[in-house]
Amino acid sequence: MAHQAHSYHMVDPSPWPIFGAAAALLTTSGLIMWFHYNTSTLLMAGLLSMLLVMLQWWRDVIRESTFQGHHTPTVQKGLRYGMILFITSEVFFFLGFFWAFFHSSLAPTPELGGQWPPTGINPLNPLDVPLLNTAILLASGVTVTWAHHSITEGNRKQAIHALTLTIALGLYFTALQAMEYHETSFSIADSIYGSTFFVATGFHGLHVIIGSSFLTVCLLRLIKFHFTSNHHFGFEAAAWYWHFVDIVWLFLYMSMYWWGS
Amino acid sequence: MQGLKPIVSTESPALVFGTTTKLASDLPATDSFLGKNQVPDLQKLFQKADGLPVHLKRGVPDKLLYRTTMALTIGGTIYCLVALYMASQPRSQK
Repeated sequence: MAHQAHSYHMVDPSPWPIFGAAAALLTTSGLIMWFHYNTSTLLMAGLLSMLLVMLQWWRDVIRESTFQGHHTPTVQKGLRYGMILFITSEVFFFLGFFWAFFHSSLAPTPELGGQWPPTGINPLNPLDVPLLNTAILLASGVTVTWAHHSITEGNRKQAIHALTLTIALGLYFTALQAMEYHETSFSIADSIYGSTFFVATGFHGLHVIIGSSFLTVCLLRLIKFHFTSNHHFGFEAAAWYWHFVDIVWLFLYMSMYWWGS
Repeated sequence: MQGLKPIVSTESPALVFGTTTKLASDLPATDSFLGKNQVPDLQKLFQKADGLPVHLKRGVPDKLLYRTTMALTIGGTIYCLVALYMASQPRSQK
């Protein structure tokens, strides 16, 4: 290996960025073909290639860091900035949907019966499953912090237990939400209420699934001894993302489930 | 190299990079819980000076996955361009 006079990581040439771009093209045009021509071949190709690119790209990052040692403190700092910026962009993404909700609910139009919830809409009882879901996500925030402390203390067994519990709570949340979706008396087509409710909670649910997947990868890496007691940024990034998902839910619960009922 | 120390375990002495602190596996009584630590062996494998880029470093399985992905994306892109070309034609079929 050549010796460099700086602490940054000059990566090997990689095909994943351009394949990832192609996968995005296939997915978006696949959506068009599915919407307008009722064929899903292109969409399936897009989603599959997206999955393959993500698997291999992130596999390579693990190889470069854990196995090749390229993640110096300088590189890690850059990754921290990157993750913070990404989460910030996601905050803005959700902000838009909250804006739409408050725009419609603070001044309900005559078409809705001049009230919120609109006439004829039976909202979910916020003290029922939604409250349980709130408790579940809050508990998972505690368990993921417990896992982090276990890692920094070098206690691998305890860390595995805590992280497994976190993932289990995430899956429990997803299952309960799916059940709730099935049980609602209103659908996404039921006025702006349905639109704001299902788009915001739906994207949140997707983020819970993404976060659970990220945590699962961390669990596998934890089991395989990839993390050390003071170098485990992949786990920290997953934990930050998970806390973000929790906080979004708290806002969703307070505004749409509680205030909005 | 700044801030980098060799791995505490002495199994693989000739590695260029190492972890900065003790491995969690160096702690007693956890080795047999859920598999043994293969990180030092993998570090040796991925630091071999064979000139291979990281995405092909493992040999055959990497090559297969890479070619599958390439076939899917390039084939899919061609299919996509054909489909978009056809969709952009005025409705003269049937």
